[in-house]
Formats: sequence, C-alpha cells, structure tokens
Amino acid sequence: MYFQPKNLDEALEIKAKLGADGTLLAGGTDLVVGIRKGRTQVSNFIDLSKVAELGELQEQDGFLRIGAATVHRRLESCAHKALADAAATVGGPQIRNLGTVGGQIGTASPAGDVSVALIALNAEVELLSAARGSRRLPLADIFTGPGKTSIADDELIRAVWVPHGRRSEFYKIGKRDAVAISVVMAAASIGPSNDVAIGIGCVAPTPLRCRRAEDHINSHGLDGATINDAAQIVREDVSPIDDHRAGAAYRREMAGTLTKRLLWRLLHSKGG
Amino acid sequence: MSPHTKPKIVGETQRRVDAPGKVTGDTPFGGDLAGPEVLCAGVIRSPHPHCEVKSVSVDAARNRDGVIAVFTDEDIEGTNRHGLIRRDQEVFVTGRARFLGDALGLVVAATPKVLANALEEIEIDYTPLPIIGTMDDALAENAFPIHPEGNVLASQLIRTGDADTALKESDAVIQSTFKTQCVDHAFLDREAGIAYLEEDGMLTIHAAGQWIHEERRLVALALGLPQERVRIIQPATGGAFGGREDISIQIYLGLAVLKLQRPIRIEYSRKESMLARHKRHPIRVHYTLGATSDGQLTAARVKIESDEGAYASTGPAVLRKAVSHCTGPYRVPNIACDGVAVFTNNNPTGAMRGFGACQLALAYETAILELAQRLEIDPVALKRRNLLQDGEGVTTTQKIPVVGALHCMELALERIGWDKRHYETNKPYLRRGYGVSSICFGLGYGDGFPDASRARVRFADDGMLEVLTAGVDFGQGLHTLAGQIAANELGLALNQVRVIASDTLLTPESGSSSATRQTVFTGNAVRLAASEVKRQILDIAAAYTGLHWDDLELRNRMAIGKEDAKICLPLGQAVRLGRERGYSLDVESCYQPRTVAPEAGTGKSPRAFLTYMFASHAAEVLVDIETGEVRVKRIVAVHDVGKAINPQQVEGQIEGGVMQGLGMALMEEVITRDGQMLNANFTDYIIPTIVDTPDIEAVIVEREDPEGPYGARGVGEPALIGTPPAILAAISDAIGTVVNETPATAERVWQAIQRKKAQAI
Amino acid sequence: MTRRQLDIFNRQDQAAIDKTAERVRKTEATWPLRFTVNGKPVEVAVDPEESLYDTLRERLRLTGTKGACLEGECGSCTVLLDGKPVTACLVMAPQVAGRKVTTIEGLAADDRLHAVQESFIAAGAVQCGYCTPGLIVSAAALLEENPQPTADQVREALEGNLCRCTGYTKIIDAVLDASSSGTEDKANAGVD
Repeated sequence: MYFQPKNLDEALEIKAKLGADGTLLAGGTDLVVGIRKGRTQVSNFIDLSKVAELGELQEQDGFLRIGAATVHRRLESCAHKALADAAATVGGPQIRNLGTVGGQIGTASPAGDVSVALIALNAEVELLSAARGSRRLPLADIFTGPGKTSIADDELIRAVWVPHGRRSEFYKIGKRDAVAISVVMAAASIGPSNDVAIGIGCVAPTPLRCRRAEDHINSHGLDGATINDAAQIVREDVSPIDDHRAGAAYRREMAGTLTKRLLWRLLHSKGG
Repeated sequence: MSPHTKPKIVGETQRRVDAPGKVTGDTPFGGDLAGPEVLCAGVIRSPHPHCEVKSVSVDAARNRDGVIAVFTDEDIEGTNRHGLIRRDQEVFVTGRARFLGDALGLVVAATPKVLANALEEIEIDYTPLPIIGTMDDALAENAFPIHPEGNVLASQLIRTGDADTALKESDAVIQSTFKTQCVDHAFLDREAGIAYLEEDGMLTIHAAGQWIHEERRLVALALGLPQERVRIIQPATGGAFGGREDISIQIYLGLAVLKLQRPIRIEYSRKESMLARHKRHPIRVHYTLGATSDGQLTAARVKIESDEGAYASTGPAVLRKAVSHCTGPYRVPNIACDGVAVFTNNNPTGAMRGFGACQLALAYETAILELAQRLEIDPVALKRRNLLQDGEGVTTTQKIPVVGALHCMELALERIGWDKRHYETNKPYLRRGYGVSSICFGLGYGDGFPDASRARVRFADDGMLEVLTAGVDFGQGLHTLAGQIAANELGLALNQVRVIASDTLLTPESGSSSATRQTVFTGNAVRLAASEVKRQILDIAAAYTGLHWDDLELRNRMAIGKEDAKICLPLGQAVRLGRERGYSLDVESCYQPRTVAPEAGTGKSPRAFLTYMFASHAAEVLVDIETGEVRVKRIVAVHDVGKAINPQQVEGQIEGGVMQGLGMALMEEVITRDGQMLNANFTDYIIPTIVDTPDIEAVIVEREDPEGPYGARGVGEPALIGTPPAILAAISDAIGTVVNETPATAERVWQAIQRKKAQAI
Repeated sequence: MTRRQLDIFNRQDQAAIDKTAERVRKTEATWPLRFTVNGKPVEVAVDPEESLYDTLRERLRLTGTKGACLEGECGSCTVLLDGKPVTACLVMAPQVAGRKVTTIEGLAADDRLHAVQESFIAAGAVQCGYCTPGLIVSAAALLEENPQPTADQVREALEGNLCRCTGYTKIIDAVLDASSSGTEDKANAGVD
C-alpha cells in the first residue's frame, strides 16, 4: 500500500497504525536504492513529501532546528562548517536535492557523513509520536547498530537541534573526490568553553562518538600532546572491519590521523 | 569560405554528425526503442560460480500471472554456443556453470515487474563444485579442472637474442613485479535492445555490439538459422570500450522472437550488466630488466600470468598483445617473455581498451623506474637513451618506419614544464610528484589474422553523397570521420554527405570497432571507394567539358577546370549525366592489409601489426602522505596520430582515454571473492567524476604514417595506456617508493609509505 | 515448428498473449497521477511503487531521460523537479503529484536549442551521448541559478553526472561557453 499523508498529524496517525510495517519515505535516496537492490522489502510506504512542516529550517532557543525533511542541499550553506561540508559531500547535487537529514539519521548507516557531523556538533534529535508526543535526546545515543536505532515503531523524526557557538571541521576519505561512499570520515567541534566533541564514521557498527578521547582533552586541554593522545585513544576505541572498501588496519590508522588533523585545525583556528 | 578556397575537411574540426539528436534526447538508444507494449525477457543466471546444474524448475514462474513463456536449452535448435575466438560458451548451460553470469534460461513476461518476480521463483537444483577464485588456486597441483583440458587456456612467448646470458653479463639487474586489477568497462548505456520478425521472416535485432556481422554469425549459428535470415541493426550506443565485443543479449532476443513470433525487449540492470559481461584481464607481471652501468638496456625476462576467468573470450589475443608489447617502445636486444592465461571461476576476461598492452605498460614503466633508481640515473635520461628511433624494431622485431616515441616524450616534458618543476605544497602532509610514460600500441588485429574493412560510397538520387559502412560508432566518432573522408575526396561539405551505418542488410562488412583499427581500416576503405567515385565524376566532367580529367578538380559541388574556373560542371548535373551514360557512381572498396603470424618458437614477426602508435603522457600529482590520497593535478598526453582527421574528436578520444586511465590508476577495481563480484554497482565500482578530472592537455603530433588514410593512425586505445604509468611514476616521485599494484588507492599508497618507513628504520 | 503450426500458434496464442499482457499492465497501474511535464499538465495511471524514471520513459515515452545505474549514482536520469535537478530514478512517482518536472525534451524552445545544447555540439562535449541529456539538464539548472559560474562551480554542479567517454574536459568548456553566450543573449534582450 502507498500512503501519502497531507500533514504531520495524518503521518503520525498512519505511522501509529502501521508501526514497523509502515516504511517512511522522504528523499528516497536510500530506500529506493534498497528496494531496487532487493535489500529492502516494503509492505507499506508512508510518503512524507506532502508534509510541509517537516521541511522547516529555523533558529530557535540558541539552536538551529532542522526539520527532518530538510534536504542536504539546504545545509550546504549552513553556519556549522562540519555540517555544511558533510552535507556537501553527500552524493551529487541531484541527491542532495532529494536526500534529507531525517532520512540519513533514520537509515543509521555507519557511513552517514551528515550523522557523524551532527554527532560531533552535540546535536539532539526530536522524535514525535501520536501517543506520547515529542521527546528530545542526544543524537549519538539513538544509534544501536548498522541500520538500527532506538526510534520506536510509532515514532518519526521531527527535527534535529544543533547548538550554536561551536566551531567545527569535517574530513572525508573516499575512493574518489566526489559522490563517493566514505572509507573513513570524521568531524570534530570545539565549544565556547573549549570542550571538544569528536565523531567518526565507518569504523564501528554505528557513527561513533569518541567520548574517551574527548574526556582526555577536556580534562587536560587542547594542545599538541593531548591531540596525539586523543588520536591514539581513537585508534584504540574504534572497531573497524575489513571490507571491499578498505581494510580494518587502514581505517583504524586513519581514524587517528583524521582526529589529529581535525583537532589541529580547531586549535589553529582558535579565536580566529 | 570564398569560392576559390579548396575545402579542407580532413584535418578540420567538424561537428559530429550524431550530436544534434543526442543533445535533445531524440536519438534512441537500445533501451529507448520499445515501450510497455512489447513483452520483456530476462535471463536466468547460475546460482553458483561453479556447479553442475541438475535441473531448472520453471513451473512456478511459468504459472505466475503475466509470465508468457520460459525457455531453456531444450528450446534452442542451433549449436547453443558462442564465443569470439573459441565457441566455448553455451547460450544456456547444459551441465556445468563456470561463473555467476552463465545463463540457464530465459523468462518472457508482460511487464518488468512480473519478470523480476518470476525470475526469483526459478528453482535450480545443482551440485556445487570447488570454486577456483584465483590464478594460484587454478595453477595449484591437483587443482579442480574448470574445463576438460584443464586450467590453462593458452601460452605465448617471445624469444629474441639470448636474455639469460645477457642478464648475467649486465652491470645492473632489477626484479620488479606488477599486479594489475580487474577493470569493468562501465559504459553507461546498459545492454538493451529489441528484436522482431519482419514480414518476410527476417529476424531483426536492434542491439549494440562492436562488429555486427560477427554478431549475425554468432546468432545464426547458436540458433540454427541461415545467416541471411538474421539482420543486426546497431542503435545509438552509449560506449563500448571492448565491452560489447562478446555477445550479450542478441541470441536471447532472437530465441524469444523465434519462439513467440512477436517483438521482445531485453534490458539488463547495471548489476546484471556487470555480472554477465567480460572484464579487463587482471595480470601479474614478473619483470627482470638488465642494463649496462651507463644505462643501456641489455635484456628483459618477463613472466606474465593473466586471469582469464571462466571462458576464453578474446583472451588468447589479449595474451599475445601483452607478450608482443612486453618491452613497449624501448630498445631491448634480448627478450625472453612467457605468458600464460589461466582459467578461474571469475568473470571471463576479454577485450577492453588497452587489450593487454596497458597492463604491460605499467610493468615495463615501473621496471624502468626501478632500474633508474638502481643505476642512480635520472629516469628521463634512461628513457632518452633507450627509446626506439625511426626504423628500429619493437618487441616482435618488427621494424617501424615512423617512431614518434622520443618526439612525444620530449614534447610531454616540455608541456608539463619538466625542467621547471617545483615541489612546494601548502600543507606539511602534501607531497608533489611528476612522472612521464612512454608507450606504444600495434593497431589492428595483426598477427596474420584476416582483417579487412569494406565501405561503399554512392550518389543518391537526391544528390547527397552516401557513405555506407557497417562500422560501429559507439561514441568514438567513426561515422563523422567516414563522412569527412568521403566529403574530402569529392570536394563536398560534411552536410552534403549522408552516413548510412551499421545494418547488416544495408552496409558492407567493416570488421569490428576495436583494436584501434577503424580510422585506418574503414578510413582507408572509404577513401578508396570515394576516390573511385571521384574518378567517375571526373571522367563524366572531362567528356562534358572537353578538358582532360587531370585538369579538373572537385570543389563547391562542381567539377572545375584547374586553370580556368569558368569551365565547370555542377555535381548534380554530372550525376545525372553519369546515370544516363551508365556510370555506377556507386563503389564498394575493401582495405585488407597483410600482417604476418608470429613465428613458432620465438613469437617474432616481421609485421605483427600493420602499424604502431607511439605516445607519451606526463602527470603531476599531489599525495597526502598521512592518508595516501592522491590528487592528479595535470596530465599532458601527447600522441603521434599521424594526421588528425578531426582534431576535436582526436582530443576528445585522448581526454576520455586519460580519464579511463586515471580511473584504472587510482580507483577502479572489480573486487571478487570466491567467484562473487562484491561491487557490481556504481556505488562501489567507482569511476572518475568531473571533480576528479585534472587539467588535461591533449597534444597532437602529426608525423604521417605510410599506411593510414592521409597518414592517420587510430588513437582509441593508446589514449588510455599512457596515463596509468605516468600517474604511478608521479606518485613514486612524490613518496620516494614505487606502488606496484593498481589501483593505487589511498590505502595502497599509504601502505607503500609505511613499508618505506619500516625499511628506513 | 512448421509454418502451419506457427500459423495456428499465431492466430490463437497471439490474441491470448495480448489479452494477458494488457490485463497485467492495467493491474499494475492503479495510482492516478497528475503533474506537469515540460509545461504541460498530464494525468497518467502509474504503479505507485514505480519511479519517476519509469513513469517518464515507459508511460509517457519521454526516453531522452537515460538511466545508467538506477541507483542514484550516475546522474543520467537527471530531470528538474520544481526547477531543481534530481535523479528521476530515486523519486517515487506519487511524490511528484502536483509538481513541475522538466526533462531534456523540455529544454529546447520553439525548435531553438537551449544554449547548453548548442555549446555541447560546438565544443565536442558529446561522444556516445548517453550521459548527455542528464549533463545538459544539470548544466541548464546551474546556469539558471548562476549565469556566470567559474570552472570549479561547473565541476561542483556536474559532480553527480558520470561520463565515461569524454574525460569531462570539453563538457566543462561547453558549459562555460554557454554561460557567456547566455549572458550575451540576455544583454541583447535588454536592449530590445
């Protein structure tokens, strides 16, 4: 069956009724590919293209509130550098005009460039259900495995909240310079009180927040020595796999290398 | 153009004859020819890379609503076989399946959706056999034989001089290995087409290949039809690069049409296109190269192992090309080269742009670099000293009258600014590097294989000059070139020429669009035919004007007196007069040069190929030494094309070849584990994008070739061959050690850097 | 089969096949879709699970939109959806209800080629031509938004369109050429 709700309430109602059997369709850039490859079976589509509320992008309470159906193309010019850079590396313009931030979070790919940037920006996700209304939690906490999140079957992603005031950087290694799935990618940010946050992709079953490395820097300060330590901690904490895109050893090493590179950039641009 | 300017269409950029229809989307490709009104067919593929198929249960599929028919080998009345050199592939396997692309049957359905579901319902009962996934597995003692004759398809050799003795006596000897990857053609236009029966019973197939007359033979043989009952028409074709040489959908289409007596369409998905099609041979080369202390090459011992995949395809010819190009454009007096082609359960490997020569170019250029390091000589100086000169012999001892190797390299060095090259970068982890390659390539099938092209040129009743060629244009621009040559001979503009092409019923056999042969072969055939039509016109005009034919010339649609332009006969009138007087004004010509088969026991040949093309590419790269990422900044690609008949098209071929070469150098790789292709899609089979494109300078050198039309040589394959070794040499320059495997992914470059660091400690 | 058997087969079975095929096709097309294609409103029954690519090519027979991968990786199926380039293969047909789609067939106006189409021919940016419609649609969208792009902006706008033949160099030239000639056209229009 194919459902095309006209507004948020209708969408929530249908989602509540169908639960896990209702598959949300936004940009389709992952879902439609999955169907074509026979990777995804869909019994019921819930097409969100007519739910205008989900496309809102606004400033609210010191956050950038990004409606779940905001397409990557719109984020390319946002003020958070890591997010803008990550959004700009997703596919080509044609994909960025379709793919949405909510879709990227919902698919929970460890190679999700935008998810990793958001994690490193301390973003929160707002979930909504007909029965329980809305809830907000740290984005990093909802990923439970490849393609798996703790979002309930009757919930949908309403928005992502990105706090202001953090400088951030993003770096991606792919197999070519555009429209490439990441081999390893990382993002890092630094807040007004010099606290850092680090996110890494493709090195664990989920987009990874490197808390231990962050704690090390946050308790010892950001300098050349702690950056090296943080890179080493990251190498220890990641759990990459060998696959046809890269070997585990390379990914592990690069997780550290990119951490170092991004933290140096944050250090150098400090106050600048 | 002033009335007295002589038209000079050959050598001038002319707009492609096929471009207008392509920019508007009006030109139909194979997949555009039929809509939902036509039934669609899909292929049942092997469930396992190596198995004995016991039975194919089709009942469930046959009973699904909307399924029209299911066909298996029992429905085929011909040989049920195909294959370009050996007919070693079954259309539908009757016993043994040897790779995942092997076909077992065909389903015909009302819609693509029904077809997809029906194909999933086919149940295949089979006994799995050991999967031979690598050459080492295939060559192991007691390895399971993939074919009755074992796992070795073919071997080839070259013996000139005495390599063993010469190596012993050399001052310096290096041993170098190079491993190239399996590459996919990745043309964008998936295999797609339609077929139907004409009123007169002619089985008419619209599908893209590279040699329509050979495809007609293969379809007729496999299905048990006389050739005259099969007609192949080539639709607009979105790239080929060797990937359409092996037959694809033509026989399946033919079978379904014969059985159902109605039109049928087939369209592969990208995945099926990649799983079913042959690939470029992954080749492992062990290279031993010797020199005197001052850098004179003395001898090469070369061992080549080539992964054939499951069937022969054009493998024996690819192996011969590899062997016969094993020392490239270098003067090596003593050569011992042995090549072996090995069956595995991977995709069959066959023709792809470069055809064995591009793999060997990486091997000999890497060996030269390593030798330069050993001798502590500048690699460019080493090359200068050893590149062939006019009249010298290549690997097979064939003497080449015009050798552009050195000229091309000097030009490449000059254009990239070799003497002024600098190594600064704006990041501490970035290193800059420069490299230059020299390559050569023998044009045509060569080696005594029958090789001819025919073309027909005639005046139509509407006054247009018509050129008929079966030669396939899959984007390289053959039809524009054929039109230009005919126009040039008859003093016409290109828009006064109509090219009728690629239809076995209408056009004379022109051989395949492969082996960088069509510019020379069909170019010459068209020129011969057009010049004979010109002779007839001049005869007619001579009789009319009273001038000797030699005192007349053709320009501006007129036969005009050379001395007195007032004496003239409009072409239209000449054609009418000619018709009245019984001139045919319709000439078919054939160009069939001779080549000589290799000598048994040595592989030498005085004329292995009709002629050779020489080229040199220079590259500038930036390497991130912390991540191994490589960014190609510039490529200069210099080719001695003899004569650029259409300079813009020649540049286009070179630029396109460079980017395919860049893809091969840095990113493209078919990854196979146990006979399963892991990246049969464009998400993970990565080809270069516009953002990966460096600043490319295509430089045309025109030292005329004695064989080619107006001195022209083909450029298709050499355009690719020079780029990978130039990029690899530049990477080596940047990181101080060679990467001896393609693609040089970030990970491999990083590993090479780590190995070098470990050695330094 | 003998000729006679074939004749019997033809008369009886061809009619049956036609009937089955017709019925199955109708069963799949259950969703009434209204949208605008190249400025013209269309109403067509589609399979709600098909993509815009299929709707355009199979149902509307607008075959200028190509598809090399059908997985959003090649850009051959680029069309404009409300003026923005998207890959038609990833858009589900019902998603375009009430929206405007422009395909390669909609770029030339009154038999006059779009500036990008002209410049692709002149610059030699066309080889096999399979990627060409998608590239031209992407380039037209870029020039609409940014009439005088730099070479890097051209690269960025076309990064989602793969080409296997040309090496992209003449494509960049063509788009830059079209951008300047487009500006001249506008300047002339202003004078008029």
